[in-house]
Amino acid sequence: MSNVILFNLTTVLFGVASALYIGALYANNEKISAFGTWVCVLAAVVSTAALGVRWYESYQMGIGRIPVTNLYESLVFFAWSINLFYLVVERKYGSRTFGAFVMPIAFATMLFAIKNDSSIQPLVPALQSYWLHAHVITCFVGYAAFAVSAGAALMYLLKAKQEEAKVSAGVIGLLPACKTLDDLVYRSIIWGFPFLTAGIITGAAWANYAWGTYWSWDPKETWSLIVWLVYAAFLHARITRGWYGKRAAILSIAGFLATVMCYLGVNLVLSGLHSYGGG
Amino acid sequence: MPDDKRAPSPMDRVWDFFISVKLAIITLIVLAVTSIFGTIIEQNQPPEKYHQIYEDWAFALMDRINLFDMYHAWWFLLLLVLFTVNLACCTIDRFPRMWKVVRNPRTKLDGNLEKTLSQVDRWKKKGTVPDWASKYAEALSSAFAKPVATEEGGEVHLYAESGVASRFGVYVTHLSIIIIFIGAIVGNVLGFKGYVNIPEGESVSQVPVRGGSRVQELGFTVRCNSFRVETYPSGQPKAYISDLTVLEGGREVLRKKDVVVNDPLQYKGIWFYQSSYGQAGGATAQVAVRKADGSPMGTLALPPNEPMRIEGYGTVRGVNYDQNLQGNGPALQLVVDRPGKPSAEFWVYQSRPDLDRQRNDSLVFSFSGLNVRQFTGLQVAKDPGVNVVWLGCALMVVGIIMAFFLSHQRVWVRLSKSQDGRVEVVLAGAASRNRLAFEKRFEKIQTGVKAAEL
Repeated sequence: MSNVILFNLTTVLFGVASALYIGALYANNEKISAFGTWVCVLAAVVSTAALGVRWYESYQMGIGRIPVTNLYESLVFFAWSINLFYLVVERKYGSRTFGAFVMPIAFATMLFAIKNDSSIQPLVPALQSYWLHAHVITCFVGYAAFAVSAGAALMYLLKAKQEEAKVSAGVIGLLPACKTLDDLVYRSIIWGFPFLTAGIITGAAWANYAWGTYWSWDPKETWSLIVWLVYAAFLHARITRGWYGKRAAILSIAGFLATVMCYLGVNLVLSGLHSYGGG
Repeated sequence: MPDDKRAPSPMDRVWDFFISVKLAIITLIVLAVTSIFGTIIEQNQPPEKYHQIYEDWAFALMDRINLFDMYHAWWFLLLLVLFTVNLACCTIDRFPRMWKVVRNPRTKLDGNLEKTLSQVDRWKKKGTVPDWASKYAEALSSAFAKPVATEEGGEVHLYAESGVASRFGVYVTHLSIIIIFIGAIVGNVLGFKGYVNIPEGESVSQVPVRGGSRVQELGFTVRCNSFRVETYPSGQPKAYISDLTVLEGGREVLRKKDVVVNDPLQYKGIWFYQSSYGQAGGATAQVAVRKADGSPMGTLALPPNEPMRIEGYGTVRGVNYDQNLQGNGPALQLVVDRPGKPSAEFWVYQSRPDLDRQRNDSLVFSFSGLNVRQFTGLQVAKDPGVNVVWLGCALMVVGIIMAFFLSHQRVWVRLSKSQDGRVEVVLAGAASRNRLAFEKRFEKIQTGVKAAEL
């Protein structure tokens, strides 16, 4: 299956990009990280092509469906979203140091993905709905934004520790200023939050159309609500009570841990309707 | 004594408690953390299952605080009520102030206001205040938004704003949550949810309501004409398909041949969702009966092991079924009991309808197949609040976008006579959010306004 070969190539590219970004930090070399950006762009092209090819191959098999319906596909789509979201952030903030913290998340996601069954399976009846597209896409854009926010939050915590000690040497000295990182933590969340909200709503609408219940406190639903509540708390703390810096960073990381639990933990640890993780 | 020096009354304290954002943040976090319990402890399972997992004392404790149905527990609902009251109080407390600010914007750029603004620029021009005022008003209109002009003590103030809606975003979002809760309550009070199995060929006109002993009358009848499962070549299920008919007063009023998952049947606000299926009361064997001369007598439908009487002959019983007996395909073992004769036991094959002639009996039996009767399992729901919930959801998305992606931007121009006889111009601006983007926009406005000439 050529899509799997392309996804394997994407994994390699994400690994190379991560290494380049991290290496560039240690070597303090802008040229290396610029090369990292090109690798990311190439990875974006290859993984987009891979999604397209997989979609096409599903039609050739007479199954014909969007490639976001099992654990393998959702992981590669998640990595794809992180990479694209990251490229936008890199361009907007004009700093390549984020790459060392965000691209490894994409790389790890792909490594996890290729350990799973990559064959194209037909859709079970419950998934045969147009709601699938809207639901999955909105959710994963939200997840990707939260991943970038958590990466920036981690950078913030490292940088803030150094600033407190009043040194600016080494790798951490090269990270963007705390103010920039703090801004990115917040800004990624205000992008992720509406997408997560839309993801929950489209999921509820779909559930209502499939089972007649828009909310049934199923573990997946409940965890999506938990994620939503954590980020809602973040936004209120930030906007009305001026939670900047360290506390905001910690809340952002807590939010992302809840996101990972919602996305993977529920399927791998708990039981529920979203059973794609079981296989 | 001024009012604010007075000690706060108990009422004030209660009010202050309910309008605090701190309470909101704490409630959000507590709701998030407690919600986790219900995902770790499986909800609404039979008590025996819990007894297997937990010690007796732990079971008693958890049962006592409703951890086995925690999302409906009094304390969880109380948290939701607290959350809603907090939300409502915050809105009641803050909305009028915001409304006042929006209705009566500070159209005059006085010294105090100027000090609080991030973007300020000043320059001087030859000419008169009214001439430049009209010129700049025009320029501001094209570069930003149409300004209002206020004249006072020889000074002219221009004020323009855009994106004022962003101020309402937070209230729209908060209101949307209350609307969703109202929709959920309406659905719970006026609607019902149930589940029903209908065997093929049978109909129902009432549905047992979930989580109770109540039975809901539908007001009409639903018949299952047939049910079938389609599979992919690999054997995985492709579709579960029910053929349903709605009858009122015995008359067919609606038929939907392919009720599948994700495509329910809807009649009079009641929805029927394809949700499961199964075998209804075992299989019946179809056995054709002929006289020895070959003339047909009809077909028997034999339930397993149940003797069927044939007048003037005796009884026939199907006792065994084999999908592929000795490589000859599906076969049925019959037992025939006739008065005054020994019991006869023999196999009939679906592939060989004439085999039974060998018995030289007065009747010839042949097996025409096994009829597996299925039932379709349908979720039945009526939820008159669901559209209210969708309205709330739509408002929530709109509200969040208004709150996060719009920005209330304000620009002032003050023109006054300077001591050197020229006109002193002050241009200032502020944005409620995304200051970085506003800086860029302000630069453009600056250029646009400064380019104006008399």
